[in-house]
Amino acid sequence: MSAPGRLRRFAIRTGAVAAKEATHAVRDPRTLYLALGMPVVLLVIFGFGISFDVEDVPIAVVDQDRTPDSRALERSLTTGHEFVVAARPDDPAEVDRLFRERTVSAALVVPRGFAREWAAGRRAPVQLLVDGSDGVGAQSVLGNASAALRAEGRRRLAAETGGAAAPLAAEVRLLFNPALRSAVFFVPGLIAYILYIVGVLLTALTIAREQERGNLEQLFATPVGRLEVMLGKLLPYLALGLLQALLVLAFGMAVFEMPLRGSLGVLGLGTLLFLAGALAQGLFISSVAGSQQVATQAGALSSLLPGVLLSGFVFPVENMPLLLRALASVFPARYYVDLLRGVMLRGNGFDALWGDFLGLGVFCLAAVALATLGFRRRLA
Amino acid sequence: MNPVVAADGLAHAYAAARALDGLSFAVPAGELYGLVGADGAGKTTALRILAGLIVPQRGTARVAGLDPADAGSGVRESLGYMPQRYSLYGDLSVAENLRFFARLFCLSRAVYAERSARLLAITRLERFAERPAQQLSGGMYKKLALACALLHRPRVLLLDEPTNGVDPVSRLDLWQLLYEFVAEGMAVVVSTPYMDEAERCHRVGLVHHGRLLLEGEPQTLVAAFPESVLRVVGAAERAEAVLERAGADVVAVAPLGGALRVVVRRDAVAALAAALAAEGAGVETLRPSFEDLFLVRAAAGASPGEAAA
Repeated sequence: MSAPGRLRRFAIRTGAVAAKEATHAVRDPRTLYLALGMPVVLLVIFGFGISFDVEDVPIAVVDQDRTPDSRALERSLTTGHEFVVAARPDDPAEVDRLFRERTVSAALVVPRGFAREWAAGRRAPVQLLVDGSDGVGAQSVLGNASAALRAEGRRRLAAETGGAAAPLAAEVRLLFNPALRSAVFFVPGLIAYILYIVGVLLTALTIAREQERGNLEQLFATPVGRLEVMLGKLLPYLALGLLQALLVLAFGMAVFEMPLRGSLGVLGLGTLLFLAGALAQGLFISSVAGSQQVATQAGALSSLLPGVLLSGFVFPVENMPLLLRALASVFPARYYVDLLRGVMLRGNGFDALWGDFLGLGVFCLAAVALATLGFRRRLA
Repeated sequence: MNPVVAADGLAHAYAAARALDGLSFAVPAGELYGLVGADGAGKTTALRILAGLIVPQRGTARVAGLDPADAGSGVRESLGYMPQRYSLYGDLSVAENLRFFARLFCLSRAVYAERSARLLAITRLERFAERPAQQLSGGMYKKLALACALLHRPRVLLLDEPTNGVDPVSRLDLWQLLYEFVAEGMAVVVSTPYMDEAERCHRVGLVHHGRLLLEGEPQTLVAAFPESVLRVVGAAERAEAVLERAGADVVAVAPLGGALRVVVRRDAVAALAAALAAEGAGVETLRPSFEDLFLVRAAAGASPGEAAA
């Protein structure tokens, strides 16, 4: 057999680079840890660490009324898992000290005459105090406590009027996440963030390393082309990345009880595009960085910031100023977060998610093109 | 002569220094050409330009009639290059490195099997086929790099200081291998800082400050050397004073072990030898070598080169 055709030579050389790269990856324990160990570690740390669900908040109850009615009010707070009574001071002035000592994060004060006022059909005010120094926590505590107290008020009203409902009460149902568990909201963002940063870091070192070790000098004297090098480096890490994604998604579903309501095919294709884009971003950084140190830092920064701040993981992209929204639209993280929420929680298919697929696809192609063009096939 | 390798007026400067300043030479098929010069003379830059790794700022390079920087021309199929730096993949074995480069040149399995077996045999690396490249000795590594550069049977082989860091026995092996390939019609350009290796080449070009000082067959060049060479032992300070007084009659002085190697004008050698012996120094006449040639020409050629830089 003499000279193979152009396309076949392209495939042979791309395959040669891919096989070599796979051998490097398999023989380097750090690569395997970065690809398969770190994502799970990150998911556990962040998954359990980031939670807006508040449970067992210590509360002080100052019951000056001491009637069955006041005790019923207290029970309405403590029947769920949200609050536990940590102190029962007699003097409302004690409450201040308990807050300062951080013994309690909230306090309920039922004044003398509460039951009498209620029975007389008059306003029966109770006092709810919440530690506002932890902003996010305070909002949840406040929300939980006032919801419980309002519910108790409605229950009493209904009991007295013989089952007639309160005049106006919205019946609230949360779709797709009825218990409003923050994990269900967070884990898709977390998965996108982890796959993004690990994907970029996996390839960010590959070209810079060969440059530092002098490998490129020998490689450049062969007929191998730039695109062949790029695709050859992309493919094995894409396989490794898919394995990683499978691990992270399975872990997320098993441990954080994430549902998968849409199709696995939609999820798989979206994940493939997202990973290819992240890996190509790493290759681009590697080809222009010049050293492994610069490549690591640029790789971490360029995936961490968009992955956390511009992805909708923590802050909704829709509420950002125009400039930040435009910036967020460049990076693939926001499309993937949106796609994950869509396919996992809402059960969306291509018809609803085509915009995300378009964003992921465009980024992936642009990143491969930039990496190939940025890779100078010359020595300095 | 129809050259397979041609450098014509190559000039190149890096940010910090000028590397090449109008270097020209040509090599026909079946010739072993040596680029000889000290470190920093510009040898590596010249070879990198011929390998298409650097585009020269002035001048042209041709390999098999093609521009080596033009990747689309297929020039790389005709070119084998062995860099001075360790450039193979250290975590890949000897066989894996060979296989990788064979595939980059799209050799079929059968061709790869046959050629790699032969190359491993003549480099005597067969026993180490499974050993990672980073665990090879300096000499074995260079032989593997040579094998990787030869798999695709290039018409032109460029070797940048192949014997640097190699033990004397492996050095002989390497030269022996090169003679075999040259005999088959390959054009080989080899750079070396070792003057004694110049005499192993068919033709040499003496590189100094980025240009050719002298070119020709080493035996002819040395035979035409017009000066005499003395080895002077002992009476160090008094001997040096004699050499000092001799002025322009002493062309070059270099340390030689514990003694001095002195290049002297032929018509002045008898008088100088007598003067040195009178001061109690041991004097002995040496056969001129390539190194003497280099010393004299570099001393003479240094000034214009430095003025240009």
